[in-house]
Amino acid sequence: MNGRTPDPGNPRVAAARLLRQLADGRSISDLLEQGLDAVSPRDRGLVKEFCFGVARWRPRLERIAAQLLSKPIKPKEGEVQALILLGLYQLIYMRVAPHAAVAETVEAARLLRKAWAVGLVNALLRRFQRERETLLTLADADPLSRYAVPDWLFRRIRTDWPDQWEAILQAANSHPPMSLRVNLATNSREQYLSLLAASGIEAAPIPHVPSGLVLGTPMDAESLPGFTEGRVSIQDGGAQLAAVLLDLQAGQQVLDACAAPGGKSGHIMEAAAVRLTAMDLDQRRLERVRQNLQRLGVTAAVVQGDAAKPQGAWADRQYDRILLDVPCSATGVIRRHPDIKLLRRAQDIPALVKIQGEILRAVWPLLKPGGLLLYATCSLLSDENEVQVRRFLEQAPDARERVIMADWGHCRPTGRQTLPGEATMDGFYYACLEKI
Amino acid sequence: MAILNILHFPDPRLRNKAQVVKSFDDDLRKLAADMLETMYQAPGIGLASIQVNDPRRLVVIDVSENHDDPLCLVNPEILEKHGEHKMDEGCLSVPGVYEPVVRATDIKVRAQNLDGEIIEFEADDLLAVCIQHELDHLDGKLFIDNLSSLKRQRIRKKLEKEDRQAQQDAVGQAL
Repeated sequence: MNGRTPDPGNPRVAAARLLRQLADGRSISDLLEQGLDAVSPRDRGLVKEFCFGVARWRPRLERIAAQLLSKPIKPKEGEVQALILLGLYQLIYMRVAPHAAVAETVEAARLLRKAWAVGLVNALLRRFQRERETLLTLADADPLSRYAVPDWLFRRIRTDWPDQWEAILQAANSHPPMSLRVNLATNSREQYLSLLAASGIEAAPIPHVPSGLVLGTPMDAESLPGFTEGRVSIQDGGAQLAAVLLDLQAGQQVLDACAAPGGKSGHIMEAAAVRLTAMDLDQRRLERVRQNLQRLGVTAAVVQGDAAKPQGAWADRQYDRILLDVPCSATGVIRRHPDIKLLRRAQDIPALVKIQGEILRAVWPLLKPGGLLLYATCSLLSDENEVQVRRFLEQAPDARERVIMADWGHCRPTGRQTLPGEATMDGFYYACLEKI
Repeated sequence: MAILNILHFPDPRLRNKAQVVKSFDDDLRKLAADMLETMYQAPGIGLASIQVNDPRRLVVIDVSENHDDPLCLVNPEILEKHGEHKMDEGCLSVPGVYEPVVRATDIKVRAQNLDGEIIEFEADDLLAVCIQHELDHLDGKLFIDNLSSLKRQRIRKKLEKEDRQAQQDAVGQAL
């Protein structure tokens, strides 16, 4: 018997299958790269919205589903569990006509050959419609459900940000804007803004970020005027602060030690005519760096290497500037990657802190005296940020902090932090370290 | 292990009836392993010996989401049937065609495993449908047999054309 459903391109069938695999620990972007083949181009946006939406609100949706189920769905029936969450997501968050949302989700259960679940999905979604207000009020009594956040992350953010945690968690669940970085080497922000206006595309400057624009509505990158010619790139405003903070001068030797996918590398090359070494551990992702630099029409040495164990030609050089955008929990970019909430575990944080410290200590000797190292994360957790940097400063006698004087973000005991949603930005942490 | 060739409708060999298995030897185990590999690769959730042109009464099935719960049934028979429902079915021997079929919802099955031991169990949902579908194959029956002859004729034309095309492509590649 054929295992394929009669209609693998059905958006709800495709979404339920992708969401089931998300529970296996794979990221949405990975899944969407292969999982959309059967879906018609017209429906791909809808499937993405389903997957991102359910991932974003999963803890809240699961709480509501648990109230409606007399016993939990068996773990091996992941597709049915995903369909139930997807049905609730449509009813709560989407402007799909409720009767259509229910009927289409029930139909998807049938197409997935889950005959036993057809009645269950139908009854559950209809009962939600009847008892909606009560169920939502009940679910939202618990902040973990209200903010759709795992317990460990909730505790850490509340501890690290006693005054801002609610705003942070709210922003983490909002839809991120599409932000652009204008290539200031080839056109000014005003010139590019008028180019957008001429194409009828609405955009506004991002405060504090000289190259930053935010679009009124997201759109396909390829359709942006001048995108293929490298006049503009897709990048969050907070990420664009890195090249500014590096204080680059033409002719400098610069190392981007964790470069992939190359957004910040490209920005460095736009900012000044420096000699850049863009390095990453992951050979496959280095290909993205090459593509990015090629599109911008700039050249840099793109090399594979382990920042924690410097060896080879890149480690024999001394650098005026080093960007250390270390691997991190990515808790500052949850609004763009909601699956982080599902994939990241509490025990990942100490492991990340350890590797970040190793990289920082290993790369520091490559910095020239008088040079500047920018330590960067897209994390909101103090252990990965100011605690990490303070520990390093205590151990390295030839390192001192150059305090970031800025009108964006929040001053921390060391370094500076942007919070998600503030001035359109994602949550980034930066600390400037000078070598004496 | 090897990937076996799956016969396509209207191949007359799909009408053969399978013979009761009497020797539970390595050769039977190899057939089961090859059929499972062929089924997973297709991908399918059930495959009967007749579909790979082998006369032994053997079906392999795996309806699990993770494809990690294989079931090999030798000399299977259905002892009891209860309930009725209609569900779209598809078949590896009739690719691209999905049609509703009425099947029993709950069944009781007796079969032998690859060592010849007798097993009895109850099945429902997709597993029950799949077992009924595969057992039909062992008796030379296909899930499209109950459709109108006009509809079956259309399916036959479509598949004959596709198989001809596939053969031409293969020849083209060989040249």
